[in-house]
Amino acid sequence: MNALSRRSLLRGSAAAAGLFALAACRSAADSGPTAASASPRRGGTLTVATGIDFTPSLLFAQSANTLVQRLVFNTLTRYDDQLKPQPELATSWQLGADGKSITFELRDDVLFHNGRKFTADDVVFAVKNLQNPARSAQLRSTAAAVTDFRKNGDHELTLLLTHPVSNLFDLFEFMIITDSATVEDAVAGGRLIGTGPFRFGERKPGASISLTRNEKYWNPGRPYLDGVEIRIIPQADSLLSSLKTGQSQLSYNVQGKDVATLGADPRFRIKPYDTGAGAYYIGVNVTAEHVGDKRVRQAIAWAVDRDRLVQQALGGYGLASSAPWPKSSPAYSDANATHYRHDPDKARELLKQAGLGPITLPFAHSATPGDTAIAQILQYDLKQVGIETVLQPTDSPTMQKQLISQSMPALWTLSHGFAQLHPATLAVSAYPFNEARNSSHFSSPAYTDIVQRAWNRADSDSADAKALYQQITDTLLDEEFVIDLAIGGEIEVATAKVRGATLNKFNYLNLDDAYLTA
Amino acid sequence: MTTLAVRLPLPAGLRTVRGATGITLVGAVVLAGLLAPVLTGTDPTAQSSLALAGPSGNHLFGTDDLGRDLFSRVLYGIRTDLLIGLTAVPAGALSGCALALLSGLSRWADLAVQRVFDLLLAFPGLILALAVTAVLGPGRWPVIIVIALAEIPGFGRQLRAGILVQREREYALAARVGGASRLRVLLRHVLPNAVDPLIVQSAVALSLAVFIEGAMSFLGVGVRPPEPSLGGILSQSTAYLATHPAFAAAPLIAVTALVLGLTLIAEALNEGIRR
Amino acid sequence: MRTFLLKRLPSALLVLLAASFLIFLILRLIPGDPATSLAGPDAGPEAVAAVRARLGLDQPLPGQYLHWLGHLVTGNLGPSYAIGGQVADLIGEGLGNTVELALGAVVLVIALALPLGVLGATVRRGPVAAAVRALTTAVLAVPPFVTGVLLVLVFAVTLRLLPPGGHESILDQPDIGVQYLLLPAVCLALPSAAVLARYLGDGLERALAEDYVRTATALGVSRRRIVWLHALPNALPSAITVLGLQIGQLLGGAVLVEAIFAWPGLGQLAEQGVLRRDYPVVQDLLLLLVAVYVAVQLLTDLAYAWSDPRIRWE
Repeated sequence: MNALSRRSLLRGSAAAAGLFALAACRSAADSGPTAASASPRRGGTLTVATGIDFTPSLLFAQSANTLVQRLVFNTLTRYDDQLKPQPELATSWQLGADGKSITFELRDDVLFHNGRKFTADDVVFAVKNLQNPARSAQLRSTAAAVTDFRKNGDHELTLLLTHPVSNLFDLFEFMIITDSATVEDAVAGGRLIGTGPFRFGERKPGASISLTRNEKYWNPGRPYLDGVEIRIIPQADSLLSSLKTGQSQLSYNVQGKDVATLGADPRFRIKPYDTGAGAYYIGVNVTAEHVGDKRVRQAIAWAVDRDRLVQQALGGYGLASSAPWPKSSPAYSDANATHYRHDPDKARELLKQAGLGPITLPFAHSATPGDTAIAQILQYDLKQVGIETVLQPTDSPTMQKQLISQSMPALWTLSHGFAQLHPATLAVSAYPFNEARNSSHFSSPAYTDIVQRAWNRADSDSADAKALYQQITDTLLDEEFVIDLAIGGEIEVATAKVRGATLNKFNYLNLDDAYLTA
Repeated sequence: MTTLAVRLPLPAGLRTVRGATGITLVGAVVLAGLLAPVLTGTDPTAQSSLALAGPSGNHLFGTDDLGRDLFSRVLYGIRTDLLIGLTAVPAGALSGCALALLSGLSRWADLAVQRVFDLLLAFPGLILALAVTAVLGPGRWPVIIVIALAEIPGFGRQLRAGILVQREREYALAARVGGASRLRVLLRHVLPNAVDPLIVQSAVALSLAVFIEGAMSFLGVGVRPPEPSLGGILSQSTAYLATHPAFAAAPLIAVTALVLGLTLIAEALNEGIRR
Repeated sequence: MRTFLLKRLPSALLVLLAASFLIFLILRLIPGDPATSLAGPDAGPEAVAAVRARLGLDQPLPGQYLHWLGHLVTGNLGPSYAIGGQVADLIGEGLGNTVELALGAVVLVIALALPLGVLGATVRRGPVAAAVRALTTAVLAVPPFVTGVLLVLVFAVTLRLLPPGGHESILDQPDIGVQYLLLPAVCLALPSAAVLARYLGDGLERALAEDYVRTATALGVSRRRIVWLHALPNALPSAITVLGLQIGQLLGGAVLVEAIFAWPGLGQLAEQGVLRRDYPVVQDLLLLLVAVYVAVQLLTDLAYAWSDPRIRWE
C-alpha cells in the first residue's frame, strides 16, 4: 500500500515538474544589480518601475505618473538647479521691458516622430491647449495670461500677456509640445507623438509602456539608450522586490521608509530630490466646527511631532517643516521651517485660550499604507493635547471629489506639490493654497492681495519679490488653513549601472543623458 | 429508526488527539484575546519613538513601525478578529440556512435560491470588499458584511445538499405519508439530521473569516486604523519581512494557530460524524 | 442533455441580468466620481462638468443603464474612461493573462491534489500520512498574501531563481513566460490544492470503507486496482464539484495574487477600474466574471451528471 502511494505521488509531482520543465532553458531572473564603473555608453534598455499607471487623459496635468512627458515630448525651456531657465526647444528669449511680452527664438532642426517639422505654430497650439479647461492643467491661470501671439517666420514667436507674471518660466517648464493633429487621440489613449528623445511604442494598460530611441533626435548623439521600458507595479513591496532583483533599474516610487530598508546596500544609488513635489500637510476646513478659530489650527501645528513623522513614516527621507517651501525655493528660510515645533504645552494653552475642552474631529486620509501610517502618527499626537480624531481612510477618487467639491471634513492629510517652483505658482495653481478657491474654504482679502502682487510682476528673484514671498509665508503660518508637516520629495532609487537620469521640476523624467554602464 | 436522529457524534470526535490539539490551540488564542486587558497594561494604540524594536523585556514581541507595542496589538487584534468572526459567521450561517430551507419548499424557490448562491459565489470577493467599503466607509461593519456574504453560499449549499439526501430517507417519506406538512417535515425531521456538516462548516467559516479580514487589510479596506487586527498587523509587517522578520512573527503565529486549531477541530468533528 | 441545457439556460440568463443590474447599482453607490478623478487633481468645476457631459454621466441613471445594455447587446463595449483604450481590448488582454494564471494554477492543483489525496487516503497512519496532513493543514493555515510575499522573498530576492513579478506571454516566449507564471500560479494553487486533497482523501476513505471494496479485497483484487478503478471513480464526482467551486475562488483570489506579483490580469484591471471609477471597464469585467462562473457551474453540473450515472438529465 505504501509503495503504491509513493509511486503515485512521484508520478503526480513528475507531471507538475514536466509542466514547468521548460523553465530550465533561459532565466527570466536577472543576475541582479552589480556595481560598475562609469563612462557614457550607447545602447541598452532601461527599465523604470512605477507604482501608478500613466493616465492618458491627464497628459497635460501634473498627475501621479509624469514619466513619459519629457521622454516623448520636449518643453521650450528647462530649469537648472537654481531655477534659471536653460534652452531646450527655445534657443533664446527676450522678455519685454514692461514684462508683458516674451519673444522666443526656436530651434529649426526639430522633427516630430511622424516626420513633421516643429514650428512656432506648435507653440501657439501648446499654449492654447493648456488654456482649455478640459486639459485640467494646473498652470492654466498662467497660460491664460497669454492673450496674443505674433509670429515672425516659422521659428520666432512673441507671446503677449495681459499682465506680467512672475512664474512665466514655470509654464515653459511645464508645457509639453505635442503634435496638434493627434492630440485628441493621445488623451483618449492612442499614440503619443512628440519631438522627444524616445518614440512611444506599445502601452499595455496596467502593465507596461515601451519606448524606443528617436533616431532623429535634435540633440546629436542622444539619447544614449536604445529604449526605455516602464513597468507598472502597484504593490509597494513588489516594486521594491523588482528593484532588488534587478528586474527594474530605476524608480521614483519607492517610499522613504522602504528606501530606508535598502540601507547602505552598495548595489543602489539613492538620490533624494530636495525640490520635492511631496509636501505633507494637514488641510483644515475652516467652515467646520471648532477649527474655524485660527488658534485651534495653530494648536494643531504645535501639537504634531514633525521629526518623529519624518523618521517613522518617511524613513528619514524628508525635511520637517512648518512652511511649504523646500530648501531650493527662493521663499525658504530656516525660521519659516521651524516656526512651529513640537510643543504640546503651547498647543494646550492655545486650545484653552480658544475656550475648548476635549473635542473630536473627523480626519480623512488616503487609504494607502504610507498615508495611513502618517495619519495614525498625527492622530496620536493630537490626542496628547486633547483633540480626538476619527480616522477616515478614503480612496483617492472619493478624496478627489471631496477636494474639488470643497466638501472635505474638518481635517485631512495629503501631500501637495508646486512649492518647488516660483512661489507664486503655489498660491495661484496648487489647490490647497489657491487664493480664489481652495478646499479649506479659506479666503481673505489680505491673502488675495499679497498673492496677486507676488504673481503680477515680471521679476521673481529680486529683494522686493522675496519680501512678498515672506508676506505670503507669514499669512500661511498665521492662518494655518494648510498646516505643513514635512517636505518629502522624490527619491531616486537606481541600480549602480544607471547614470544620468534626472527629473525636472514637474517630475518629468529626463533620460537624454542617461546611460547604462557596462 | 425513524425520527430518532439526534446522535451525539460531536464530543466523540473532539476527544481524539486531533480534536484535543485543535481545541487547545483555539482555546489558547481565544483566551489570550479575552484576557488581553489582564495580560497587558499597554494601550495598543500608544506610540513612541522606539520603532521596529526587536523583542525585549518591555516589549515581548517588539514594536511596530510607529513604535507601538506588538504584544498588546496582537492580543487586542485577536479580540477584533474574534468579534468580527463571531458576528459575521453566525450571520452568514443563518442567512445561508434560511435560504436553503426556503429552497426546500418548492422547485421554483429552489431554482431561485440556487441562482442567488451562484451570484454570490460568482462575484469576486475582494472586488465586493472594495465596493462595500467604498459605499459604507471603512470599519468593522464592511468587513463583517463581506465575510457574511462570502459565507452564505457555503452554508446554504451544504444544508441544501443535506436536505436533498435526508428528504428521500425512509423516515422523512414516512412522516410525509403520515400527513405532516412539507414545512413541518423539513423543520422537524430533515433539518436535525442535516445539521452536523453545518457545525463543521462553522469551524471552516471562522478560519475563512480570519483570512478575509487579512486580505481586506492587505488591500487597505480593513478595520479602521488605529484599531489593531491580526490581518492589519500582518499586512503592515510584510514590508519589513526581509529586514525585521520579528515584526511578522507574532501575528503570523496567532493567525496560524487559530486557523490550524479550527481546521483540526473541523476535521475531528468530520471524523466523529462519519463514525 | 439538450433538455438539461434548455432547463438551465433561461435561469442562467436571468442570473446575468440580475447581476448586471446589481453591478450597475453598486458602482453608482460608491462615492467618488469618474469625472472628478478623470479631470485631474486640480481641475476646476467647469472641467469636471465638461468631462461629465462627454462621458454621458449627466444623463439619468435608467438611461445610462439601458445605454450600457445596448452596448453589451451590440457587442461594442466602447472606450474606457480612465485607463485608456477600448474596454474590449483591455478585458481581452486581462482575461488572457488571468486564464493563463488560472490554468497554470488548475494544473498545479490537480497535479498536487491527486497524489496527495490518494496518499492521504491509502496510508491512514504513520509518518507519511502525518506529513501529508501537516503539509495540507499548514498550507491552509497561512494567509495567501503572506505565502506570496514569502515566495517572492525566497525564490526571487534570495535565491534569484525566478522573477519577482510581472508577466511575459507564455505563447510568445514559452521558456520565459513559464518562469513568470510559476510563483503566482503556485501561490494561487496551494490553498485550493490543499482543499481538494482533503476532499479527495475523505471521499476515497469513505469509498474504501464500502462493502464492495471489502468484497473486492476478499476476491483478491489488488489494492492498487481497487483504489484507482473503484474507489477513485466513486470519489471523483464530489471532487469535481469542489474543483468547480475552487475555480471560482481561483478567479476571486487572483485579485490578491495579481497584486502581489504585478500580474496584469483581470484582478488588477478590476482593482484599477474600481480605484479610478472606470465604470465601463468594471461593469463589463464583473459581468464577464459572473458569466464565466455561471458557465463553469453549468459545465461542472454536466461533468457531475456524466461521472455519476445516478443523476438524471433533469
